[in-house]
Amino acid sequence: MSFRNASAILTRANRIKSKLQSSLEATVLDVDDVSYQHAGHAAMKDTSDKETHFNLKIVSPKFEGQSLVKRHRMVYDLLSDELQSGLHALSIVAKTPNEVTASAK
Amino acid sequence: MAAILFKGIAARSLTTRLTSSCYYGMKYSTKVSNDPDTHDDFKPANKLENSGTSLSNIIEQDVKDNPVMLYMKGVPDFPQCGFSSLAVKVLKQYDVPLSARNILEDPELKNAVKAFSHWPTFPQIFIKGEFVGGSDIILNMHQTGELKEKLKDIVSKQ
Repeated sequence: MSFRNASAILTRANRIKSKLQSSLEATVLDVDDVSYQHAGHAAMKDTSDKETHFNLKIVSPKFEGQSLVKRHRMVYDLLSDELQSGLHALSIVAKTPNEVTASAK
Repeated sequence: MAAILFKGIAARSLTTRLTSSCYYGMKYSTKVSNDPDTHDDFKPANKLENSGTSLSNIIEQDVKDNPVMLYMKGVPDFPQCGFSSLAVKVLKQYDVPLSARNILEDPELKNAVKAFSHWPTFPQIFIKGEFVGGSDIILNMHQTGELKEKLKDIVSKQ
């Protein structure tokens, strides 16, 4: 009971984080709420949701061998509940641990 | 009988307008006033009422007929969302014709495109009939040179 209440008041950012973390086993997971940058733009005028736009940076071994489209789809699929309940847009950087090491060299 | 005839005309005028409206700057409109093929008497109250399945046909045709097809918020000259704006900016770096529809004007089209591509957000970009992704992906492809490669055999606009 109290758990259910707790999850209801968790921010969307936290829900996103926990959903992605548990499924993708991310080694890096940055969830950045940038809703303020989009407040008042055309598509936002009829919504009362506050947490609508996020930048995500995810490094996950689960992305290995997947195209960008597939990686983004994996993220969108995990967050489909959020997308149906007011989450409007995501900016996604999705990398594998190997890609991160390669670009650091 | 009269209803069937009406539907036929409405569907025909819709098709005519859609196939002739291509290329950069094209605007998806819910009005049919510029269509020489139609008349006020035949104007459908809602052009989508007869198109339960045909919306996906329209999208299929769009992505087949237009080498670079965008479904976006706003129009290329006046995007109404930062992500759509970014996608247009990236694609304008290349000398290729852009075709676009404004999904803000048509919630049913918006839903149909989402279902078509299995992708929840906009913009959505199709190149040579293939779903490419949204603004993050197009920017990434631009930066890696993949986009140049993909667009190179598309005939440039005049």
